[in-house]
Amino acid sequence: MMAKIEDIPISMGSMKPWEKKPEGRWLEDPGLDVEKMALVMVGAGARLVTVSASPLDSGEFRLIYHWDLEGSLLNCVVETRDGALPGIAGICPAADWIEREIHDYYGLNFTGRDLPPLMLNEHDPVGAFRGKFQRKVKAGGRA
Amino acid sequence: MSYTIPIGPYHPALEEPCKVQVTCEGETVRDVALSVSYNFRGVEWLAERRNYQQAVALVERVCGICSNVHTLTFCTAVERLAGLSVPERAQYIRTIVVELERLASHSLWAGIAAEVIGFQSLFMTCFALREQLMDLLENLSGNRVHYGMNCIGGVTRDLVDPKAFLTVAGVVRQTVTDRLIPLFADDQTVRARCVGTGKLTRELALAWGAVGPTARASGLSEDIRRTSPYAAYARLDFEVPVETAGDVFARVVVRLLEMVESCRIIEQAVDYIPQGPIRGPDFVEVPPGEAVARAEAPRGELFYYVASDGTDVPCRVKIRTPSFVNIPVVRPMMIGANLADVALINASIDPCYSCTSR
Repeated sequence: MMAKIEDIPISMGSMKPWEKKPEGRWLEDPGLDVEKMALVMVGAGARLVTVSASPLDSGEFRLIYHWDLEGSLLNCVVETRDGALPGIAGICPAADWIEREIHDYYGLNFTGRDLPPLMLNEHDPVGAFRGKFQRKVKAGGRA
Repeated sequence: MSYTIPIGPYHPALEEPCKVQVTCEGETVRDVALSVSYNFRGVEWLAERRNYQQAVALVERVCGICSNVHTLTFCTAVERLAGLSVPERAQYIRTIVVELERLASHSLWAGIAAEVIGFQSLFMTCFALREQLMDLLENLSGNRVHYGMNCIGGVTRDLVDPKAFLTVAGVVRQTVTDRLIPLFADDQTVRARCVGTGKLTRELALAWGAVGPTARASGLSEDIRRTSPYAAYARLDFEVPVETAGDVFARVVVRLLEMVESCRIIEQAVDYIPQGPIRGPDFVEVPPGEAVARAEAPRGELFYYVASDGTDVPCRVKIRTPSFVNIPVVRPMMIGANLADVALINASIDPCYSCTSR
């Protein structure tokens, strides 16, 4: 299994290896193809734990896709392009509510799918967590 | 010809608001739409505007049933960020309290399930059991719901009467093994309502990211206490009950067996708990960085992501509760089921809408 986990970044098209931390492995690759990532992870039998989105100074977002593969936590860090990323709910159903919630909070667009409100009401403006009091983090998780 | 029935936001089985819109043909459910936003409070947004100590009190209010595991997981993430080691005695106290919380949560759920099934005397047995657990937690912490036991770097209160925990663990074990398991497992009414109802396959459970007893009743064996041990779990011996049928009955069985294992964990923790301090320094500096923490809440894996900019206020707090990933699987469970089983199937995953909406 360990060799399989080590091979995952290459399978996802990343040239970077996992960085090991006490709580799991991290792959910081802003340009990672998230659809390919989802296909590889689902194919390996991983479970999507959640996605953590944080706004960046640049106006883009830093998204961490947290996966669990047989108890190991695998964290893939990507950045949005023009405030959007391809949706992966078609590949991994667990992403459905996660993407809708991020859309509600930050107005971030996941392409290739509908994003009906999950936490907001039908006609509420999206981006409930944005505005002049929005807190930001810098790339790498450091503010 | 199909018709649609809106059930909720006031739910027939649960006290929290949720809307389940069921489309039926005859009495067979053909589609389900869920609305869960009624308890949305923006807790993540609020936590990014409170200092770390205030955020501990805030995240405890995410849920009224599993409040303690929220503070435990948040504190664990912050302790990782700050490089803090928690005293050994505090790790054991955290384990005891979080297992008592699991017992209180599971006995609450068993009572509600009994009520939904229409078994009132069983409901009362479960709630009488739960009352003893609540009394014990109140004696320890001063509170019946939000215990305020965890702080960054340890716990706020010491155990003054360890034998009381052994006594209650013994009562719970005896009640579960002698009364609840036979009543739930052998009663014809319970079996008629639960066996084969609301099936969830292993493949669907994995694809939808189901966790906790909901996933373990469908053959997925993951338990965060075993795969990523925290608190004192690595030093304790316990089994992880797994069933494969994936129906309501399997979810009942997994939770009841988990209650027996929780009693074992509490008994060992009381036996092994060392003497020593229960917390570290009062003021903690959190350097810039990010950390995640996971814990096995009563309903399954609870996940926190915390990012720091070096100030005393976290710049990002992400909370993923077990119900957030378990509630969507209600839809595949209900499709094809009988309309009369909708409330039972919904209750069978032990949904918490307060956790889900945050």
